Amino acid sequence: MKKNILILTLILFTGFVAKAQVKKGDVLIKNGTVLTITKGTLDNTDVLIKDGKISRIGKNLKAPNGVQEVDATGKFIMPGIIDAHSHIALSSVNEGTSQVTAEVNMGDVIDPFDVSIYRALAGGVTSTHALHGSANVIGGESETLKLRYGTSNPEELKFEDAPRTIKFALGENPTRGGRSRGIQPSSRMGVEAMLRNSFNDAIAYRSTWAAYKADKNPRKVAPEYDLRMETLVDILDGKVLVHCHSYRADEIYMLLKVFTDFGIKKLTFQHANEAYKVASELAEFGASASVFADWWAYKLEVYWSTAYNATILTRNGVLTSINSDSGELIRHLFHEAAKTQKYGDLSDDEALSLITLNPAKQLGIDNRVGSIEVGKDADIAIFEGHPLSVYAIPVMTFVDGVKYFDRANDIADQRIYVNPEESVENITIFNRLDEDRCMEEGVVSFEALFSNKK
Amino acid sequence: MKRIFQILIIALMVPLLSFGQEDDQVMKARAGKFALTNAKIYTVTNGIIENGTLIINNGIIEAVGANVRIPDDAEVIDCKGKEIYPGMIDSGTKVGLSEIGSIDVSQDFSESGALTPQMQALTAVNPNSAVIPVTRVSGVTTVWTTPSGGFLPGTAAAINLFGYTPDQMFAGAKGIIMNFPSTAGGGRFRRRSPEEQAKATERALKQVNDAWDKAELYAKIENSDDVRNYPEIEALVPVVKGEMKLFIEANAAKDILAVIDWVKSRGYKDVVITGVSEGWRVADEIAKSKLPVIAGPIQAIPTRGSDKYDAAYANPGIMSAAGVKVALRTGDTENVRNLPYHAGFAASYGMGREEALKAITINAAEILGVSNSIGSIEVGKKANVFISTGDPFETATKITDLFIDGYKVPMTSQQIRLFDEFLDRTPGVKKNDPALKIIKK
Amino acid sequence: MKLLLTKTIRAVFLMLLTVSTIGLNAQSDPSGESAVTRTFAITNATVIQAPGKELKGATVVIKNGLIQAVGTNVTVPKNAQVIDGKDMFVYAAFIDGLSNTGAKRPENMPRPNNLFSPDPPNDYAGITPEHSLLDQLDIESNTIASLRKEGFGVSHSVPFGRMLPGSGSIILLGDKKHADELVLSKDISMFTQFAGAPGAYPGNVLGIMAKWRNLYRNAENNKKHYDSYAQNPSGIERPERDRVTEAFFPVVTKQQSVMFDVSSVLEVQRAIRLQKDLGFKLMVGNVKQAWDLGQMFKDNGTGVFLSLDLPDAPKEAKGKDLDEMTEETKRLEARKVDFYKKYVGQAASLATSGVKFGFSSLDVTSTKVKANLLTMIENGLSETDALAALTTNAAGILGIDKITGTVETGKIANIMVSNAPYFTKDSQIKFMFVDGDKYDFEIKEKSAAGNGNRAGSAAAGNDPIVGTWSYNFETPQGASTGKMTFAKDGGTYTGSMTSNDGAPDANMQEIVFANGTLSFIFMIDAGGQSVELVVSGTVTGNQYDAEVTVSAFNFSTPMSATKDGQ
Repeated sequence: MKKNILILTLILFTGFVAKAQVKKGDVLIKNGTVLTITKGTLDNTDVLIKDGKISRIGKNLKAPNGVQEVDATGKFIMPGIIDAHSHIALSSVNEGTSQVTAEVNMGDVIDPFDVSIYRALAGGVTSTHALHGSANVIGGESETLKLRYGTSNPEELKFEDAPRTIKFALGENPTRGGRSRGIQPSSRMGVEAMLRNSFNDAIAYRSTWAAYKADKNPRKVAPEYDLRMETLVDILDGKVLVHCHSYRADEIYMLLKVFTDFGIKKLTFQHANEAYKVASELAEFGASASVFADWWAYKLEVYWSTAYNATILTRNGVLTSINSDSGELIRHLFHEAAKTQKYGDLSDDEALSLITLNPAKQLGIDNRVGSIEVGKDADIAIFEGHPLSVYAIPVMTFVDGVKYFDRANDIADQRIYVNPEESVENITIFNRLDEDRCMEEGVVSFEALFSNKK
Repeated sequence: MKRIFQILIIALMVPLLSFGQEDDQVMKARAGKFALTNAKIYTVTNGIIENGTLIINNGIIEAVGANVRIPDDAEVIDCKGKEIYPGMIDSGTKVGLSEIGSIDVSQDFSESGALTPQMQALTAVNPNSAVIPVTRVSGVTTVWTTPSGGFLPGTAAAINLFGYTPDQMFAGAKGIIMNFPSTAGGGRFRRRSPEEQAKATERALKQVNDAWDKAELYAKIENSDDVRNYPEIEALVPVVKGEMKLFIEANAAKDILAVIDWVKSRGYKDVVITGVSEGWRVADEIAKSKLPVIAGPIQAIPTRGSDKYDAAYANPGIMSAAGVKVALRTGDTENVRNLPYHAGFAASYGMGREEALKAITINAAEILGVSNSIGSIEVGKKANVFISTGDPFETATKITDLFIDGYKVPMTSQQIRLFDEFLDRTPGVKKNDPALKIIKK
Repeated sequence: MKLLLTKTIRAVFLMLLTVSTIGLNAQSDPSGESAVTRTFAITNATVIQAPGKELKGATVVIKNGLIQAVGTNVTVPKNAQVIDGKDMFVYAAFIDGLSNTGAKRPENMPRPNNLFSPDPPNDYAGITPEHSLLDQLDIESNTIASLRKEGFGVSHSVPFGRMLPGSGSIILLGDKKHADELVLSKDISMFTQFAGAPGAYPGNVLGIMAKWRNLYRNAENNKKHYDSYAQNPSGIERPERDRVTEAFFPVVTKQQSVMFDVSSVLEVQRAIRLQKDLGFKLMVGNVKQAWDLGQMFKDNGTGVFLSLDLPDAPKEAKGKDLDEMTEETKRLEARKVDFYKKYVGQAASLATSGVKFGFSSLDVTSTKVKANLLTMIENGLSETDALAALTTNAAGILGIDKITGTVETGKIANIMVSNAPYFTKDSQIKFMFVDGDKYDFEIKEKSAAGNGNRAGSAAAGNDPIVGTWSYNFETPQGASTGKMTFAKDGGTYTGSMTSNDGAPDANMQEIVFANGTLSFIFMIDAGGQSVELVVSGTVTGNQYDAEVTVSAFNFSTPMSATKDGQ
């Protein structure tokens, strides 16, 4: 009988959790070096977290009743790292069959079981921008995530109320599909034309619906509904932040002009290996850039890259972040940011901003995360060693004040779902050349694979 | 106001940051006699010399120590506050063999056919690859450049990252590369039952053994009349005779153990296991076999979904603690410059800084077979050294001077020149560019 | 000579066929298979009228396809064929919530010339909700008999296809002369699944979710337009006929449910996300991983059909193997066992949380149905809940509970009779009644297991795969067809593939044929890059049904091949 009650309670509890809001934690982190990003570095300082928010920052804070303490003596406390370009935690990345797919939404394909999430947490990352791939000129809407690992409910990973964002792509990737299928766009000319076409269609769509809505006739007939156009209209109306895969300076400049013509202002260039060449134009427009620390030469359009990209952009007044686009790199973004100190002498705060406050601004979530300030979400990473040192080791990661990673109590097998029929020795040898890079390699050869045009 | 401030910063920084060449000045490497003074010298093999001097003459380290006489005709480079290290060695790359990843015609590391050990990586090394200067200005002076493809894809070579012909770059060692038949599932989307996999492995192993049986026979009857021209097999003969090293790629724990057994049964003397992603699982067995390993990349994700997240970081440290001689590789092409960071991660996750430094200097040189000339700062060795502002593993550290084969190599690269040109571009943006009417608020 | 002989046989066979066709029109039944009467009485049996409701020593009278009477005090009609039900157990025949039973897979639409991948024709995109199972229903399909053999009387069967294959109907699992006679309830669901079009939009789950929303929203608008026009066409532009949007109307008005094939826990939640966005009535089928979703199902009123398929039990290491296992391997094996327990315990945990689910047979090999049910019972599912899932719950979700699902007077005579309580290891089905027609099954001795492969081993001298096969598989660029040839040298198979599109021949590697499963690998050249394709599937007679997996991309596609005549 007692056992039955226990089981019943467990069931009720599980049911309750599934329905409840995401978990929020209370914790007092004691006596660490706090890298606030916005308010300097505070030695021997405590951070009090209540109900998932940073409630106090100061010295000798007392833990309220029942609140756990974490001793951070000798350790560094920084805001959780934000990766502005990621494809982890997704079941599917590209709807590559069409060149404009503004209607698709990465929020539909979140995969909370991806063990990459845990590995990213173990690198101090608390949020990712889960982007659509780069096969399409206008890809799908992306989803900003908080890495709340351990649930089977994809909704719990969503960053609540984060602004909508969408992926665009220029250059080799979107033209490759066109080239292989003999349709537009097969060149950078076609990419611009397709963008302008799409927005002009959207303007027509908007006015058709506006006329319909203004029509007083009770027997009026609704125009065709088109989710793709709905999204494009929202972009024109400034309701969606655009994140555009791009490499070459000319294509970046092209998009600045197209967006100027259509009055779209919220724009971040992703990868943007040649953004440094048009840094002043980006600054003039007010566009920002999210770049690799040092990736280059894997394709023609990134051959004239420089690892000084982030520095040149920063020095020219462009809001810049450093991203991973990789399940491997995401685990050491702190190290990627540090490379800007080798390649251009950015200060500690500047370098750390590249992976915290700056990406937060690019995703429109800087009111919630990106720095350690009272009132912000308690998304926090604790490091042994300064995070910009190659010897830094992330030791704890909190999201909403809940500890999702603790190196001291780390268990090897972090899979949430296990395939009972799979061999325990299912091995994949890491090959950096296989890394996603927006799955662009996949798009290429896959098209070529069954092509009779060889 | 803010904008003016930014411009001011840039203006101040330009002279400080500019390593590259002036507009119309050609920068060439220089030979000669150099005296590097007042440096903290990491010899790797003979400890650390505080406030030491290093004399380079005629391409060779002529003297090193705390009390070294500075020759009158030497060009003195004052290294006060700086450190000197032997050039770093990456024990597994495609440098020189690949220029632009996605462009097939710029890829020269893979021949058609599964059995092509006679293919020479050194032949295809492009001394003018843009990758080479980008790599060496970060202190990597030597790389092992390897063919890939079939089960015996070719002959790798150690090259120094300076020179105008492959022979000028050749660092003095070659080796046969072999991919050991793998029991691992292969690519990301490969689904195969263990039975199917075992059968495939068995068949592949037979192919391997057939080739080596022939090589042994060839070695035995080499000088008789009836031996046909058989370049594939002939290329293996030096391994059979113990005159050339054999580098066997194996990553899964099972495969590593299989390699150890295979080497024992064949009796080959000079074998290195490469990759060894799961070496940590069988570290004691590797140590017992006395086979050295080349591990990497270190910044890699674990081989199994159920592995500890830092398995790849910790792998070299675990093997080294078990007594295995370990060298490191990036497995990269364009970002071999990150070798010190791979080493740094290995150091942080258990290997320790000293062992990690050895793994990319003297251990690498020994494992590749070039330790008589490079891999440490010793009198008589080639002058492959760099001067740094500090610990080269530390991300922010800069390399200020570089010597390869005794040449003082200019500290420039395509990436540095682009930085110099674009940090403060001329012309800059037109104010109120009519094409960009939206002005940031 | 051989050829001539074959021709002769074929001619005779054709003649026979012709004769039997005539027989349908004016002939008696020389086969002797017809029943003498359609009135039956099962006497003195244990009757499980409904889950938990059992009558001992009862009689069931069947007449005109209906259950005429049930009880301990029932008079046996004179014209009845009496079946002595002593030691027999009478149940309502089972109801299958989702399968392709009776459907014949249509030829895949060939890739159109000049396919415009962003906007392919609906047939190619797999958007054919206007189709119906009835278009594919084949009375000769052996799937009907094999599911019936496992105790099922009706199945909610859906057509083959991609994203929106068409509507599902409830069919009787009987032998009928015309397809229409099989239909118990027509077009009750709109069937949908996350199956993208090869190389065209929607290509995967991303496009499918978006396309779904778009189709639904437009259907809502179009429905208003149609209604308004029907009411009074004056002054309103004439709505264009659009079969797809019209097919959505009953879904929009909630007269028809949507049936989603969603095996994984993520797919289930995606289906529910769509339902929450759009508001249609939802059923989910083929569900395999929903052990945590009880509350969600209840909150959303989702009709749930759990898959009768279960993973194979992890092999337990013993003796030497166990000793050689590392601690790590032991831990990982233990996790596999934990998850196996979740799969086999899915039904129990949902039953405990109060979800009234049914079962679906879509992915299960029919002969494993009972063994899997017993496994679920061993793992906590009560027999009553199992029976409810197979009968009353399924009938309730499908809206046929007034006509079937129990052994009660007035219901359709869909009845299963077994020689022991069904949920016992040795029970066997002796009779099935479907729509009042009786089907007999031979009771096998207990050691019957293992006989299955007899035929296969007898044919070993005549190798089942050696020879030439014609293959066909779908690629993003259209169908790929050609010949594959197998030879056997000693114990080893060799083989090659010759494509009809002129690509160079590919030698197969690693050909493995065991226990009816044939797998091999071949490489093709993709713009200078060698890409490996893994093929694996089952050989049944001269038919090979396999899946081609492209290792380098997350892509797989079905392949079928037929062995060419000798």
